[in-house]
Amino acid sequence: MKRALLLLAFALPLHAQLLTPTVRGVVVAHEGRIRLGELNLDGVANATAVAASNDQVVVLDALHDEAVIADLATGRIARIETAETPIAAAFDGGELYILCRDARVLQHGNARIALSADPAFLKTANGKVYVYARAAGIVEEIENDRVTRRFSTAPFASDFEISGGTAYLAYPRDARIRTIDLQEMKTSGEIAVGAVPVDLAFAGGGTALTARILAVADPSAKRVWLTEGTQSTAKAVARGFLRGFLGLGLFGSRASQFPTGVDRVEVHGKQWLAYDSSSGTLYRFDRKTSSVIARNVAPGAFTLTRNGVAWWNGTSVAELTLE
Amino acid sequence: MKRALLLLLLALPALAQSRLASDFEIAQMEKQLAQSKDFESQLSGRLNLGDVRAARNEMTLARNEYRTALELAQRERLDARRDSSLSRYANATSYAALAQAKLGREAEAFALLEESARYSSDDAENWNLYASAMRTLRKPRKAVAAARNAVAIAKDPLDVAVYRHALATSLIEAGDTHEAEQLLVTVTTSLRSKDFERLQREAARTEAFEVYSSARGDVAAYVSLLNRAQLRLASLYEKRGDTANARVQYERVLEGRSDDVTALAALGRYDEAFAANPFSMALVRQYQRHLQTHPERGGAGVQLALQQLARGETRAARETLDALLAKHPDNETLRTLRREAEGATNVTLPSPTPAASELRALIGAFERLTSEQRTTLDRATYTSVVRFEGGVFEAGTIDGVPFRFGAPVQFHGTFDITAPLRLTYRILGVTRSGESDALLLEPVQLEAVR
Repeated sequence: MKRALLLLAFALPLHAQLLTPTVRGVVVAHEGRIRLGELNLDGVANATAVAASNDQVVVLDALHDEAVIADLATGRIARIETAETPIAAAFDGGELYILCRDARVLQHGNARIALSADPAFLKTANGKVYVYARAAGIVEEIENDRVTRRFSTAPFASDFEISGGTAYLAYPRDARIRTIDLQEMKTSGEIAVGAVPVDLAFAGGGTALTARILAVADPSAKRVWLTEGTQSTAKAVARGFLRGFLGLGLFGSRASQFPTGVDRVEVHGKQWLAYDSSSGTLYRFDRKTSSVIARNVAPGAFTLTRNGVAWWNGTSVAELTLE
Repeated sequence: MKRALLLLLLALPALAQSRLASDFEIAQMEKQLAQSKDFESQLSGRLNLGDVRAARNEMTLARNEYRTALELAQRERLDARRDSSLSRYANATSYAALAQAKLGREAEAFALLEESARYSSDDAENWNLYASAMRTLRKPRKAVAAARNAVAIAKDPLDVAVYRHALATSLIEAGDTHEAEQLLVTVTTSLRSKDFERLQREAARTEAFEVYSSARGDVAAYVSLLNRAQLRLASLYEKRGDTANARVQYERVLEGRSDDVTALAALGRYDEAFAANPFSMALVRQYQRHLQTHPERGGAGVQLALQQLARGETRAARETLDALLAKHPDNETLRTLRREAEGATNVTLPSPTPAASELRALIGAFERLTSEQRTTLDRATYTSVVRFEGGVFEAGTIDGVPFRFGAPVQFHGTFDITAPLRLTYRILGVTRSGESDALLLEPVQLEAVR
């Protein structure tokens, strides 16, 4: 029997795959379906983002301005038309928020909350919703369906994350991470990190005695940098010292940590993942080594789970337990 | 902003405003392409040629150019990434997205555009490419949002004018003609003002008048932008019945380029318009409407054929068209008119999982597909159980109907080439396979038959 084991050069997948972990298992949005175990539900034509709560999952189609909300217990779905280009969703206390970038609104039920130019990132924290408007360089705090506070910062960040009372913004062009104290709505820190910091994740710390540790993906340096983030100034003073950031690569040598440039990083406990969007390579790594988990994985087609990592291997969900 | 690629973003819908695209111009472009080696020249050349082919309604040839552009951009992406040049990577990713959009692959285009925006949300050129891709995919509201970002970021006056023009174009497509008209007035006024005196002098000194989809240098960009902006503004004036202002704009266009086909046709100067570009479908359709109320005689070539068709002299029209087709056998405009002269019966496209009879019917009637059907076919995917012949994935049969790919293909996965396999594909055209006609396919996905 003749067999051909060859590399797919140009026949790209017709449908994207998105994975997200839930308490009931890994949900996959793929080929117009939403799958979780035995559940196989109608989804959207072109899944571009997914978010989950304990009970529900929402899959967005940014190209066709549509969202499908699935109840994980009953399998019931609700299909809704969104404003222009829904790019992100988040649940906060069971309430679903959908960020529609090109309409510049945050959708919450029937409410449409007007936002600044190019709202690109959506986070929830401390019972509030935060949006970073990328072109405007504005962080907006939303409560009770209205923007309660706005803070002007540098535009064009590539990532926006929140931990505790601090927001972290990654700036690839400036090679900087900037932090905002959300309670005071003011800049609380800024540090040079690597060459092109694109994505960040929280890698520990953040206790009364230690500052937040950030893992920062830098595709130009082919590294994930480990940096120590500030706590609030008040906390730091209370601890008796002020700590800034220390731009430290995970490895001390000049050798690249990864064979290709990684631009996404995910951390859950001691499970650390890095991903190279250009080649679709998924890595696991720790402070000493990195190794390939899978290749030809689409962006969004992998996720950390409670015990390890899950990814779409082309036909089904593959899982690997990480120590 | 890189002027080498500036006016890719000025490319207009073929039916709205066609431009000069003679065989001579295509030959010149191909010659330039053969001489250029760098990524941007190659890419702009391919996309430009694709647009010209599309404007001439030569969709198969256009897709070939877009595919080549995509391959170039993908290669550049990987090279840039390997060299840790993230700006280059973002730019190449945006161009890969635009090529995917021109090939009708919306999901792939969107994913690439978002990837580029992660790295370069401060880059006006990439936002303009985003807008251009969204326009290509007929998502004008998304294009408007991206174009607004480009306008807000740009600093250089010529860049600002280019991006305002692109924003106006997207607004027109989104139905907001009021803001579009205001923007175009701003653009044309500024381009004709003293702010651009240096470029105006240079254009006059070098007798620059060519209008490009992708122009090299500020002068070529300036000339092309002014031409396009004035045409768009004239068209808007016409649509709201302001013929006096429209006429002013068309006359200004002819001041810059006396053989502009759109302006000539709009001013009723059809002889000159056909001399400039006889194969413009926009011109053909406009002239056909004109002939319904103003019968004419005395043309030559395509113009003569249209006059003959309007008079019901279909046999004479066929003879005229056959003579033209002998000189330009690949020209879709001529083929379309020839079919119309023949009174072609309707042809139906195959179903998504076509039977052999549907595929055989398509092979027989391929040349009689309308341009709309050709567009639909270009975007459609089909799935069939196939049998490959030989030891490589290149040719085979679908239920006895021969097919082949443009070249041997490598698929990801392990497949028994001797067994029936499920192939998802696009139909590109009809070719020869041995002694018989065969479908020319583009593979999308190969799976084992369960």
